[in-house]
Amino acid sequence: MSQLPEIQRQTTPILLFNDECAVCRRIGHWVQRSAQSNSGETSLIVQPIGDDPAALLALHPDLDIWDAYETIHLLMPDGSMKLGGEAVAEVLRSLPNTKWFAGCFAVSIFGFHPFQMTLNLSYAILADVRPLFGCESCGTPGWLRPIASITKWAKGVFGENHHSSPTPHFTSLAARRVRPLPVSGELPPQARHI
Amino acid sequence: MQPLIAQVILIGAPMTSETLEVPRTTPRRRGSSDSIGTVTGSTFSSLILEAEGPIAVEFMSYGCAHCRALEPVIEKVAETVKSRVKIFRVNTAVEEELSDSYEILGTPTLIMFLNGREVGRVEGPHPTVSSVVTAVTQPFES
Repeated sequence: MSQLPEIQRQTTPILLFNDECAVCRRIGHWVQRSAQSNSGETSLIVQPIGDDPAALLALHPDLDIWDAYETIHLLMPDGSMKLGGEAVAEVLRSLPNTKWFAGCFAVSIFGFHPFQMTLNLSYAILADVRPLFGCESCGTPGWLRPIASITKWAKGVFGENHHSSPTPHFTSLAARRVRPLPVSGELPPQARHI
Repeated sequence: MQPLIAQVILIGAPMTSETLEVPRTTPRRRGSSDSIGTVTGSTFSSLILEAEGPIAVEFMSYGCAHCRALEPVIEKVAETVKSRVKIFRVNTAVEEELSDSYEILGTPTLIMFLNGREVGRVEGPHPTVSSVVTAVTQPFES
C-alpha cells in the first residue's frame, strides 16, 4: 500500500475500495478524477484495500481487512468510519460536482431520512449485483445465485473468457485480473487524457 | 431492522432481510482470537516443512469472496482441532512464488502436511465446520 503524507491522511477522508472488483475499480477511478481540482488538490484520498491487514489497522484500529472487502469504507479525518450507503453519501458530499445534491441525504422527515435510506438500499442492491458484472471477489448472495449462474453460463456460450472452477466455493487465480488503482494524486494513464 | 423495513415500505419492493443482505453501517469488532498464523515465503520452511506433526495450510486471499465465507468457519475449526492439527494461512496475493511452487490454481486451497510432506489437498471446501474438519483431519487418519 502506498504511503501518503501523514498531514494529508489527517485532513482528507480516505475512501477504500475493492481493487479486485471491476465495478468498484471503475467507480474508484471516477471518484478519484472527480475529487481532484484543477490546482491538483484532492478532497478525497482514494485507496485500494490491498493485502496487508496490518497496514489497514494502522489507518484505523477498528478496520478489518475482511470487512473492508465486504463493504465500502470511508475513513474520516476525525477518526470515525462510515460504511455502505453512509460512506457513499459522504463521498458525494465531498465531490465538487455532486455536493449540490448530496445535501438531500441529510433531509429528515419524522425522524426518517428517506433519501439516505434509498441510497442505503441502492448501495445494498449494487453491492449484491456486482458479481453479474464479472466480479468474483465480491461474492454472490443467495438470492442472486440463479441469475449469476445463468449469466456465467451465457458468458461461456457467447465466447467471453470463462474460467471454470472445480467447485462452487473456489475462486480461480486465473480469473482474478488485478489492475490496482494508484493512490490519489497519481491519476491512471487513461484518466490523464480525459 | 427498522431502517430496512422503512426502506422496503419506501420503495414498495418485496424484499426482506432474508432475501437482501443490507451492508453494515457500523464496523464489526472482531475478537483478537485469531488462532491461525500467517506464513510467508521466508517462514514457510521453518514453520511447515521442518515442523513435526499434522499441519494444514490454507492458501487464501483477502479479496476472495469464498475465502471470506470460509474465514469464520476455519477460525472455529482451528480452535476445535488445535490439539491435533495446526492451521496456518498463506496469502496468495503476496506470496505468489510460494503459491506457484505448490501449483495453487485458486483460493481457498487447503494443503495438509505431515512432517513436511504434502499428504492431502482440498480446493474450495464447502464453508461448513463439518466439511472443513473432515478436510483437515482425514488425510492424517489414513
